[in-house]
Amino acid sequence: MDLLDNYKKAWSNQPEETSKLSAIEIYKLAHSKSSSIVKWIFIIGILEFVILNSLYFFVDIKTAMEEYRKIGLENFIYYSNILAYIIIFYFLIKFYVNYRKISIVDSTKNLMNNILKTRKTVRNYVIFNLTYVAILMLVATVATINTNSKDLNTTQVFMVIGATLLATLLFLGVLWLFYQLLYGFLLKKLKRNYKELAKLNSTN
Amino acid sequence: MQKNLEAKFLEDFEKNQNIAHKICRIYTSNKSAHNDLFQEITIQVWKNYPKFRGDSKFSTWMYRVALNTAISLYRKSTRRVKTQDISNLAYKIKATDYDDTEEQQLKALYKAIHTLNDIEKALIFLYLEDKPYKEISETLGISSVNARVKMNRTKEKLKNILNP
Repeated sequence: MDLLDNYKKAWSNQPEETSKLSAIEIYKLAHSKSSSIVKWIFIIGILEFVILNSLYFFVDIKTAMEEYRKIGLENFIYYSNILAYIIIFYFLIKFYVNYRKISIVDSTKNLMNNILKTRKTVRNYVIFNLTYVAILMLVATVATINTNSKDLNTTQVFMVIGATLLATLLFLGVLWLFYQLLYGFLLKKLKRNYKELAKLNSTN
Repeated sequence: MQKNLEAKFLEDFEKNQNIAHKICRIYTSNKSAHNDLFQEITIQVWKNYPKFRGDSKFSTWMYRVALNTAISLYRKSTRRVKTQDISNLAYKIKATDYDDTEEQQLKALYKAIHTLNDIEKALIFLYLEDKPYKEISETLGISSVNARVKMNRTKEKLKNILNP
């Protein structure tokens, strides 16, 4: 008899849990709050959509547009805004579709794959938003320099560009760190398990 | 309709709760984590119960939901295994009419399983529960061949831990 067979016998003979739950206790548990990572990914994803979009409300559109007009970017801002909203809408739909695909009744591999896909949609959305803001900043800086080129000397031009770059990098750096922490905390275990399963399918 | 469904769920779950308890013993190493995971499994089984169509046995379906909860949905890490917590397992598996050697074997088995990673734990658990390879590979989402290969390796690993 195999060594493990002995242990298997001990396993199947193990007594049932001593503190078995009654139907009422099960009812209470079933209706308590879930702390699953899928729930957190959904909440954080929605928050990211809301927070990034509500940032625009803090900007005084009229004054901003006036500024853009001065540097000749009115049309560019108008059309790029329309395009940005179409893309954001696409991300929202994709996020929802991916989220709905997550099913615990699925196989472990599909389940993990769908969780990671949902999270990736939010990540891509954030990358898109940041790139969009970075491009706007760059274009605005160049346009400002262009319109004021007579009043600025070369050193001042480089200083403006340098300051803008530094501010952008700093902002992105802090955000990246925040993301690493947040999703690292949420998904560390899941990613480890997913890698383990993926490895199984590729090496054999 | 909802009331009927709820009554049916409670009946099914109460009968099969031992599946969830065994998974909790494997994936957690202290009582509070055990209860935490058990709670999440209960929530997930209830939330998905309307999708259970009865074309398979409830227990088969519950194995999948409970394992998926432990591996994918439950966030807390199980890596930090405290030895004194494992010995606490004894309080859960003590019974008067229970063979002493088997009790020792069971304790050693749990202790060994705790050193495996989450996927290996799932494989060994399904093996100990006598599940066919078809079900194991479908539950995890890997091919039967891969399930077999990995199962043999994990069994060897477990044997080495049990009998170094």
